[in-house]
Amino acid sequence: MPEYVPGLEGIVAAQTVISLVDGANGRLVYRGYVIADLAEDMSFEEVAHLFWYGRLPTRAELDGLAAELSEWRGLTEAASTALDALPKDSDPMDVLRSIVSVQGVRHALEKPTLDHAIHATASFPTVLAAFQRRRRGLEPVRPRADLGHAANYLYMLNGKEATPELVRALNTYLVLLADHGMNASTFTARVIASTDSDMSSCLVGAIGALKGPAHGGAPSAVLDQLEQIGSAANAEHWMREARKRKERFMGFGHRVYRTYDPRAKILKEMCARLNPSFYELASRVEETALAILHEEHPERPQATNVEFYSAGVLQAIGLPKDLFPPTFAVARVAGWTAHVLEQASHNRLIRPQSEYIGPEPRKPVPLAER
Amino acid sequence: MTEFSPGLEGVVAAQTAVSEVDGANGRLIYRGGYLIEDLAPAATFEETAYLLWNGELPSRSELDALRHEMVAARRLKDAAQAALSGMEPDTDPMDTLRTVLSAQGATKTLAKPSVAEGVALTAVIPTIVAAAYRRRLKKDVIESRDELSHAANLIWMMEGKEPATERVHWLDQYLVLLADHGLNASTFTARVIASTGSDLTSCVVGAIGALKGPAHGGATFAARTMLDSIGSVENAEPWLREAHARHARFPGFGHRVYRTYDPRAKILREMAKTADPKLHQIAAHTEELALKILHDAHPERPNATNVDFWASVVLTGADIPKELFTCVFATSRVAGWTAHVLESIEDLRIIRPASVWIGPEAGKKPLPLEKR
Repeated sequence: MPEYVPGLEGIVAAQTVISLVDGANGRLVYRGYVIADLAEDMSFEEVAHLFWYGRLPTRAELDGLAAELSEWRGLTEAASTALDALPKDSDPMDVLRSIVSVQGVRHALEKPTLDHAIHATASFPTVLAAFQRRRRGLEPVRPRADLGHAANYLYMLNGKEATPELVRALNTYLVLLADHGMNASTFTARVIASTDSDMSSCLVGAIGALKGPAHGGAPSAVLDQLEQIGSAANAEHWMREARKRKERFMGFGHRVYRTYDPRAKILKEMCARLNPSFYELASRVEETALAILHEEHPERPQATNVEFYSAGVLQAIGLPKDLFPPTFAVARVAGWTAHVLEQASHNRLIRPQSEYIGPEPRKPVPLAER
Repeated sequence: MTEFSPGLEGVVAAQTAVSEVDGANGRLIYRGGYLIEDLAPAATFEETAYLLWNGELPSRSELDALRHEMVAARRLKDAAQAALSGMEPDTDPMDTLRTVLSAQGATKTLAKPSVAEGVALTAVIPTIVAAAYRRRLKKDVIESRDELSHAANLIWMMEGKEPATERVHWLDQYLVLLADHGLNASTFTARVIASTGSDLTSCVVGAIGALKGPAHGGATFAARTMLDSIGSVENAEPWLREAHARHARFPGFGHRVYRTYDPRAKILREMAKTADPKLHQIAAHTEELALKILHDAHPERPNATNVDFWASVVLTGADIPKELFTCVFATSRVAGWTAHVLESIEDLRIIRPASVWIGPEAGKKPLPLEKR
């Protein structure tokens, strides 16, 4: 039997044309385009089109996709009922998981299609905005067809149009986080797709995986730690003490990149513009964290990950901390759906082996004698 | 980096003591080292679930405590109840199960998976399955009965009448036999989700989505649909020959792991004789011919009747409607899913495999929108 590989590290689980994480060179590539070339100028809709159709859209194609996304933003009656019934203090990731599940029942027994990808992607912001409004005691705001994906999400959250600067910031965040190779949630979606299951089942599973603190659950942890540190002046002292207690620095460490994460670089620049107070503290904390980590493990690469500066961007946009992970899902659903379609198009059931480490066979003792 | 192995075939993705599929020798071993053919006559589903969670079969008092705990967890929370009531009655039962279980598990803070949660999730699934069924029939939902076992109570909540002992036995045996099976796709899904530090409900809801696929849990339904379509002993040969000529697959045949007869299929085949003698006759004849046709086409492949084939006959004998087959599979397998999650989090490491890039060379510059 082959050897057990913890975490499947280095094991190739798929062939893909959707994204390439080129860790050695610090590049993230979407269907041939380096992320730095897309992030500044592309809308989330254009990148979603790139994933789903394999090319950037023409103006007419983009208008068509935007119209279709607008059309499918609404929640079904069953989804609205379930949303209203969930406790107001529920984790928004649990809300998203449940509502995406109920919203998807209309495609119950169909093979995943592009339409399913579009419908699901369109509705994620609506779920989150409606829940956010409801728990604040406000009426949900109906989506506006004339607004783009990012602008409409902010509009539905706040009940008014956001400034172009914030819309642009959210859009860039969505573009940067839209896909990232074979991460745990994308892999989950592909495993589920490999059984010939439907799109919603794949997405519900992926949301569950993204919820884990080791994956998408980390951005709020970054803010929590920064709040504890409190000020740039206190950073070094606090962090050295934390290390003595074996505490982890939040927002650092990545299995793939051997250089600075290209998304973190862009997000860092955005933080400097949009969220100067965060930036002042965060950049000092980063500097200190990298210095301490380098002292401990000089052989390891620079390790600021995408969660670290995401936190500052999402905070500047005005999102509450517990909406960070599901907003990550708003971006990543474009990648998940593209991967599901790719997996379904040349599928083989994903069924690895396990190594048995239990006792040798023996006979059960009848209940009365136990 | 290793070579791409489609389907991760031959890749070892976990070490486990929950179960072992010894394909070469046709053995299925459950936690503690029990062969399935030894365990099935000796244990109920509740005892089997206890074994998978705790590593040993329960004593009488431990079993009583578990039953008590399960009975207490059968009720839906208000949010789950409302989500259920809001769904169209004709919703696919697996979608209802996925949704209502997700709502049942919605919490304020992230909890680390625990045995208690595994018990609660396992206990509530029959409530959702039976309610989904009753709603499809436009009938009122029936309250669970505390004194009934897991299997008996599922039938009770579906029908509102006390089921015959034999039917309960057949269903219970099915639940024991299907409770775990190595690193199948749904169990693997649950373990991948668990590897991120997520909660147990997320793991189980993801696993339900994987089980729903026709290539996995949907196969029992497909096998029964084939047997319905064949309809008689005489029709088996023309039906199979015609399907084979169209290159259609025979549902209920083929398995990646076993190189001999699936030990669960063997037990179910015996039970099918009494559970549904008429369908058994058709199925036995169908099996014989299907294996012959498959052997003639691929003499190098092993005997390939899988568990879904004979499970479909036993569940039919137990009067479980076929649109609930996949849900009843989930009712059983949730014990294994949760046991695997609990085992895997003892040494948590995120499961993040690699992919191979087969797309265009990186670095092409995007054209501005107006120039495309």
